[in-house]
Amino acid sequence: MNELIAPALPFDMKPRAREAVRDLKLQQFVGNATHLKDTQRGGIFGRDFGPDYDDLRTVARDTKQYALDHLDELLERFIANAEQSGAKVHAATTGREACDIALDIARAHAAKSCVKSKSMVTEEIGLLPAFEAAGIKTLETDLGEFILQIDGDAPSHIVTPMIHKDRVATAKSFVRELGARYTEDPTELTMIAREHMRGLYRAADIGVSGANFLLADEGSAVICTNEGNFDLSVGGPPVHIVFVGIEKLIRGARDLAPFLKLLARSGTAQPLTVYTSFVRGPRRAGEHGGPKEVHFVLVDAGRVGVLASEKRDLLRCIRCGACLNACPVYRKVGGHAYGSMYAGPIGAVLTPELERAQGTASPGQPAAGLTNYPDLPRASSLCGACYEACPVKIDIPKFLLHDRVRLRAQGLSPKSEARVLALWRWLAERPALFRLAIGAVRLHARMLGRKDGDGERAWLSRAPGPGAGWTQSRDLGIATGESFRDWFASREPRPKKPGGSQ
Amino acid sequence: MRVALFTTCLAEALAPRALKATVLVLEHCGVAVEMPTAQTCCGQPMLSNGLPADAARLARRMSEIFAPYDAVVTPSGSCCSVVREKYAGLFAEGSRDRAAVEALAAKTFELVEFLETKLGIDPATLRAKTCSRASTATPPATTTTAPLNCHDACHLRGIHRHGCTAPFLKAAGCGDVRDLPDMAQCCGFGGMFSTQFPEVSTALGEEKLAHVASTGASTLVASDTGCAAHLAGLAHRKNVALRVISPAEALAESLGLMEIPA
Repeated sequence: MNELIAPALPFDMKPRAREAVRDLKLQQFVGNATHLKDTQRGGIFGRDFGPDYDDLRTVARDTKQYALDHLDELLERFIANAEQSGAKVHAATTGREACDIALDIARAHAAKSCVKSKSMVTEEIGLLPAFEAAGIKTLETDLGEFILQIDGDAPSHIVTPMIHKDRVATAKSFVRELGARYTEDPTELTMIAREHMRGLYRAADIGVSGANFLLADEGSAVICTNEGNFDLSVGGPPVHIVFVGIEKLIRGARDLAPFLKLLARSGTAQPLTVYTSFVRGPRRAGEHGGPKEVHFVLVDAGRVGVLASEKRDLLRCIRCGACLNACPVYRKVGGHAYGSMYAGPIGAVLTPELERAQGTASPGQPAAGLTNYPDLPRASSLCGACYEACPVKIDIPKFLLHDRVRLRAQGLSPKSEARVLALWRWLAERPALFRLAIGAVRLHARMLGRKDGDGERAWLSRAPGPGAGWTQSRDLGIATGESFRDWFASREPRPKKPGGSQ
Repeated sequence: MRVALFTTCLAEALAPRALKATVLVLEHCGVAVEMPTAQTCCGQPMLSNGLPADAARLARRMSEIFAPYDAVVTPSGSCCSVVREKYAGLFAEGSRDRAAVEALAAKTFELVEFLETKLGIDPATLRAKTCSRASTATPPATTTTAPLNCHDACHLRGIHRHGCTAPFLKAAGCGDVRDLPDMAQCCGFGGMFSTQFPEVSTALGEEKLAHVASTGASTLVASDTGCAAHLAGLAHRKNVALRVISPAEALAESLGLMEIPA
């Protein structure tokens, strides 16, 4: 798998974050695109739903939560209905199992080539490397994924996988890899990709896709795309395999509407994706198109473990990418800094949690999780923009805080930090000492700080201990004049003695 | 109504002027403020950094110290949101501590929120209010004309006050309040995040300062002491002349309760 989204573990985020901040192109591309999408998202929800937007989110949250709470029942219903329609349903506990199921299907058809539409779960389970190893050539048909594939690059955003690249890079790789003429015109570039892909769709032995929703009542999958590439990948090859995480289940078409309203608006500020496709069983007698075989591979890969944990809310995620677009940190560091196919706020909580849950799924293995991603819970200013943007109301900051508690418990965050905070707390329980400590900080600043500017403050440009990270790029301004308490006490006439004096 | 000032440790160390301004503005509105001297830190640093047991001890302390009061007012949006949103989760449902911190949460307000929602003050009438204290100045003849921006602390999101400060200051006649582009984006402070990921924190702060510069503002009103210290510290390091103050100071200055330093 690509090292960018499947790095050596434990993963150290900091060097990638530092590098990204210095990468002016990345700053421009990711910054512009995320700001634009985030603004448009606010605009379309305001225009289309106004104050009802929050109610819509509540409905979606509760509907998805209901499905998660009844997952066993919905799974049974889905399997029965899908099989009824002639599809084959497979259950995979691990990513490896999911790949093996696909390889068995491919072998049964002596498949040599595959067309694939966009799917996060196939990135997660490493399907492409498994196919490549088995000699099955796979074509990514989502335009962004295709460009990343020919560049040996990796997706850095759930919805906009090549958010970190621009058309100049695309033009160059089309010249290099496809022998195309150089053009930066988006329409021409799209036509080049289209011409390249059309023949391959027809020739492919197998089609692969993900799914946005599984409908238990109907036994079908719903796939939302903007390029129609899913319809081509399901329409051409004789066999189609849908890989889908079990958390994608909802009761049925009756519950679908709020999600369709929310998904495209949250992700790309469209009222609907251009294509909303339904897969339900193979080609039936008298039908002219469609695959002769349809397989659903229902992937657990840690999801059952997440469901049983305090982080079960994470499974409500519909992968719209709104939290990435809204996140100040994602905007600065880009997706690859998260070392996972799930970047941004949701990735920061989901990646370690899936990893942990998969660890516990196989007995005897230690629950890795945060051990492998100790930076992710800390890589957030806890600004709450993700929670505000989430269409299914996942309280991501709350889960980041949970993980910070776990980091401490597992000894994965700096001991020096814990010592400072413990001392701080100890002082805070002793008001006289606490005031002395504040006084000492002010005295320190008065002795050593520079008094310029408004004269209210003394400025330190080098602070000791945990302050060093602060003064790397910032001065520390500390008020050195009369303390607030002295000022307050000196005023007349004192009101009656307040309670709680020491 | 007995009103207590929740000073916050950060403001006591870094921004005592914001606290003075808070007292003066509240008194201008006819509210006598008391200051429980035993208060120290609300526990946010522990709560945000994986030490909930330590945070709980300080939360319990806070609920005891502020128990005698009807309302608790603070100029810090962030510390306010911790009391309001996070304290309850530190204690088991149904416990006495839980009830105590929930009672505290119900009566704790950020200053501008207190003025607007609890006192129901129309900012346009602030100027006409008479002071309860004879010692303070008469309502002002002049106001600050320095162009200013307003950046709200992200934690005001949680208490549904994000984006409320600028309109209030504007309506209160706090001079030339200019819209800050991309106000909704975090300034990059984020407590210990600022030292754990200093490059990212700095890049976000610099973006904020660039937006401020683009409006021509010479004063930035930041509704949290931490954000203010971060942005003022960045500006100072880069020799950018920018005054960073709290909403309380902006109000106090415009009402003539405080002098604008030369």
